[in-house]
Amino acid sequence: MKKLLVFVAIALLYTSCSKEAASVSEPGKSGSITRFAVYQDFMYVLNLNEVQTYDITQRDRPVLINRLKTDYGLETITIYDNTVFLGSTTALYILNISNPAAPVIQAKTDRLSDFGFSGCDPVVVKGNYAYSTIKIIQNICGNISAESALIVYDISDKTAPKAVGSYALSIPNGLGIKDNHLFVCDEGTDQLRVFDISVPTQLTELTYSVSITDPYDLIIDAERMIVSSKTDFQIFDISDIIQIKKLGQISR
Amino acid sequence: MHRTIACLFSCYVLLFSLGSCVQEERSFYSGLGKKPVYVALDELRDIRNEPPSAIQESGTIFLKDTLLFILEQRKGIHVFNLKDSLNTVNLAFFKIPAVTDFVVSGNLVYADSWKDLVVIDISNLHQISEKSRIEGVISPALYPPLYSGFFECVDESKGAVVDWLDTGLDDAKCVTVN
Repeated sequence: MKKLLVFVAIALLYTSCSKEAASVSEPGKSGSITRFAVYQDFMYVLNLNEVQTYDITQRDRPVLINRLKTDYGLETITIYDNTVFLGSTTALYILNISNPAAPVIQAKTDRLSDFGFSGCDPVVVKGNYAYSTIKIIQNICGNISAESALIVYDISDKTAPKAVGSYALSIPNGLGIKDNHLFVCDEGTDQLRVFDISVPTQLTELTYSVSITDPYDLIIDAERMIVSSKTDFQIFDISDIIQIKKLGQISR
Repeated sequence: MHRTIACLFSCYVLLFSLGSCVQEERSFYSGLGKKPVYVALDELRDIRNEPPSAIQESGTIFLKDTLLFILEQRKGIHVFNLKDSLNTVNLAFFKIPAVTDFVVSGNLVYADSWKDLVVIDISNLHQISEKSRIEGVISPALYPPLYSGFFECVDESKGAVVDWLDTGLDDAKCVTVN
């Protein structure tokens, strides 16, 4: 009898939990430039040189349970296919979160050290490839020059990402993927540049781009795309890639 | 991507040229730049709704259902309703002093606020409230974001940085490259 009661209690607990889970609607999505990410009952927060893991089982009472040290310069986090990708000013990190309470560094790219200072900004991932924009800043005798690119990594082996392509950009910011197209905010050319990524090792940039002043980051939401800049945002219909239509913008 | 370098070179630059020795006193950078604006640490707890306002310096963006959340650097979070793409509505503003990043999960916002992590209940967008706070876990950026140039170094004993003012600098010792 006692066993049965325990069983009933557990069953009740289980149904009430799943009901609660169901009532949490769309989890939502962030742009590509953020230092916070929620994954199951955990939240990851980037400090300059560490990845903090918070247990958020009790949603409104996070508990800091783990601090993973990295090199200085962490900037962005994204989670794809149960794997964490970090963009830092020195490298692309791949973290294994099979135990989400304690992420483990699986790989860290040694990046472009020939360029001196280098930087790895936001990262987006699709299939076996990661796409990351970088800004390379050189300081030679006080003259600072910036050079930037989109780098494509083959991540089929998550412990050994391989750079397989590099495409020049002006001042890149956020990026996002819809099907076989990659959108990159290029602040330097005041454009949203569009790359065909059907063959990830050989991207082709569409001759067509979207003019937008100082684009900063974007979110792709099914058939529409929201692009932010410093003081506003715009909404585009991207159901037809070669005929992107502006729908609306911030209300003033 | 930001690189901040507090100038470490000496105030005194000894210039030795062949055959002669000139000692020159160099000051740090003086001229246009940015300086931090501080608030007392207890003001960080002033988390509340403010009337919707225009975006001045955006940051992280987050879309949940039809709601678009946009960070206002060091000030708070704007909320827009995008249900109708052609007519977006500026719905709300959450004041969160010194915030630089956030994520939305369910009816909660998790955000940084200077050195603290705060949890804010947003189930009523027009009546938000702080649910909990973990103090001292965040290391805030001690430089102006998206900026290249000199700035007055942050003095943490003066409180939390909530703004960066364009100003004339006298002997600025910090420089950042964006």
